[in-house]
Amino acid sequence: MNVHDYEKLWIGLSMVLIVLFIGSITYGSVVAGVVMIDDAADPVDPDALGDHPDFGDPGVTQTGEDTYEVHVVAFHPGFNPDVIEVPANSTVTFHVTSMDVIHSFSIVGTNANSMVIPGEVSSMTVELGAPNRYGIVCNEYCGEFHHLMEGELVVVPEDEFELEADE
Amino acid sequence: MSTYVEQFPAEARLVRSAMYTAFVALGLGAAFGLLQVLHRTNVLRVIDSTDYYTILTLHGVLLVLTFTIFFLVAIFTWAITTSLDRPLPDHRFSWTWYGLMTGGTVLAAIPIVGGLIDQIDMSAAVLFTFYAPLQAHWLFYVGLALFVVGTWLAGVDWIRTYLAWRREHPDERIPLPTFMVLTTMGFWYLSSVGVALSVLVFLLPWSLGIFEHVNALLTRTMFWYFGHAVVYFWLMPTYLLWYLLLPKVAGGKLFSDPLARIVFVLFLLLSTPTGIHHQYLDPGIAEGFKYVAMTNTMFLLLPSLLTAFTVVASIEHGARQRGGTGRLRWLGALPWRDPVFTGMALAGVMFAAAGFSGIVNAGLNVNYLVHNTFWVVGHFHLTVGTAVALTFMAASYWFLPQVTGKPLWGRPLALGQVLLWFLGMTFMSNAMHRGGLAGIPRRTAEPQYNFSFEPAIGSVAELDAQVVLGGTLLFLSTVLFLTVVLGTLRGGVDPTRIPANTYAAALSEAEDGPRILDNLRLWVLIAVVLVILAYAFPIAAIVDRSGWLGPGGSPYPQVVWVVEYLVVALALR
Amino acid sequence: MRTAHREIGHDEFDPVGTLTLVIGYFLLLVVLWIFVYFVEFLGRELTVVGVVV
Repeated sequence: MNVHDYEKLWIGLSMVLIVLFIGSITYGSVVAGVVMIDDAADPVDPDALGDHPDFGDPGVTQTGEDTYEVHVVAFHPGFNPDVIEVPANSTVTFHVTSMDVIHSFSIVGTNANSMVIPGEVSSMTVELGAPNRYGIVCNEYCGEFHHLMEGELVVVPEDEFELEADE
Repeated sequence: MSTYVEQFPAEARLVRSAMYTAFVALGLGAAFGLLQVLHRTNVLRVIDSTDYYTILTLHGVLLVLTFTIFFLVAIFTWAITTSLDRPLPDHRFSWTWYGLMTGGTVLAAIPIVGGLIDQIDMSAAVLFTFYAPLQAHWLFYVGLALFVVGTWLAGVDWIRTYLAWRREHPDERIPLPTFMVLTTMGFWYLSSVGVALSVLVFLLPWSLGIFEHVNALLTRTMFWYFGHAVVYFWLMPTYLLWYLLLPKVAGGKLFSDPLARIVFVLFLLLSTPTGIHHQYLDPGIAEGFKYVAMTNTMFLLLPSLLTAFTVVASIEHGARQRGGTGRLRWLGALPWRDPVFTGMALAGVMFAAAGFSGIVNAGLNVNYLVHNTFWVVGHFHLTVGTAVALTFMAASYWFLPQVTGKPLWGRPLALGQVLLWFLGMTFMSNAMHRGGLAGIPRRTAEPQYNFSFEPAIGSVAELDAQVVLGGTLLFLSTVLFLTVVLGTLRGGVDPTRIPANTYAAALSEAEDGPRILDNLRLWVLIAVVLVILAYAFPIAAIVDRSGWLGPGGSPYPQVVWVVEYLVVALALR
Repeated sequence: MRTAHREIGHDEFDPVGTLTLVIGYFLLLVVLWIFVYFVEFLGRELTVVGVVV
């Protein structure tokens, strides 16, 4: 093989780039603690969500002093619940599934972004800071009214937060 | 020294037909693209938002399947016959695969277009990715299957030609163009088996009502098993042109034949075991599988980075032979007035930019930032929409005279056309990338919500203006391209005014590389092993979770479903 | 049009211009990556940190 010295240098630099990219991604996982959506949650039957202990009555539940769970059912074209109210400075875990086609649950302008697949549950935990309002969109095409699908995450001051009573 | 149509008149007819089909798809696809940018930005809405997705399906299917793959079969047929210096073995067979591809396209298009016409009870607004349980009319899946089978038979045709040559030349190195075709077809067979199985085993029977439901995650995974390799299927004819035609029009030689072979072998090995990087944000797939897909994808950077060096060095060789000097002043000595050169060179520049946004897409956790946002649309309009499409258009200015015997008409228009594409795409893709960082989603008719997007710099109005401007320039560029094509076809035959049918010779020739590079059986075998390693466990895990047919769920759209949920949605608002 | 002014063989060609361009590209990739990964991505709020419940 007859590889020019400059090209050998470039191959070396290319390997440096690849190591840099894989290295920073690993840093993001191990040091910064970013976790990928995975297979931790058990599958669900998309036709029987009404009978599911959590998705049968989706919404916010408190699980600890500053920790909350939010169950969300995505459908074409909306989220149930469509407005999610949670207190500031809390840790919130979203569990999102779909009763029909593939959707996404994406909190706009943030890193909280997940595909929502019928039969599977997307679970993701985020730490909330100060009071704020975020839009939620479905960014996976799901049918002819896809563009109508939106929701809102409202982070309210801790002293104004109240859990909605079960209907 | 003569033109291709003089050397291979029958093959030239086939290549011409494939190119014309590609150009029709390009023209239609570009027109739908213009409709979309005007609609999304709310500048002009001539269709209902509910029909936007049918237009988007047509735009995607016509451009990334019909335009690119018909052009690919044209280029590959040229590459095989020219480099082996022999015709295809059986023309009836060749027209059969061409017929299957064309027929498949038409069959798939019928239900898509049917979605626009109320009187026809058919639809296939499922986009290029056709994720179940979104369901298309069964004709869509049949058309798709026929199209893919057509490409398989095309591959058989090229392999037969190669084997016939091999019998007469037992000890020669495989000519580089043929080597590129064979390695590309290697991963095409390997990857398209996934989508073919998904369509034939699950989606088609399901669309006919034989199964009640399918496993949405499984069919989605099978799509992406093919869905990433297919982007390299578009890219490989582009690379072939960058390695073989670009150095020639620049006045130089290919810098290194063995390195070009290594690049194509790496694509054969790594194109398929990377598909899960499209599913980083999917539930139901363990993080470890996603991490493996990420590292495989990052190593796939290597062949493209090697290509950057080899192709630029080949161009530099041309510039220096043309009298270019200095560290960078030689760039001025290149034939910038030649639309073939300028179009392909600018396509290469755009591909370098796309390299960066692609690395971000590939970056596992950083994918949270950009997944399914407008950023991704910006990315693939630089890759398939420019690196591939602009290269194909520029190369057409060289190929059309070769396959028709008619000199290129309107050379200054052709130069303007490639420049206009570059300019239009600069506006459009930069705005798409920035919009994606602000969270604007892709694939939506009306990205106008009750909340507003906040770009770090600039405003949504400014991004929209750039998208509209860019999209309009791109449409005009397509019209110019088709004008030059028609102008050329209307001209008279004059082979004396057409350069001979050759491709770039190499500075470092095939003999400089080890013979093992030509051992295609070995490379295919390793590719199969890598695919099994990358996919056996994820597929087994998915099936283990919910079975081959999934945990339940109904096909969509259903009439009742649409009405019911519209009511729910309105009530919730 | 495409008349080569001189023939340059394999051993007399050092692609120094190419090396310059690709090193420029290398630096650009590093800077853009650091910006997008460490500023745009890790600098954002609501990052997914693993299931607590």
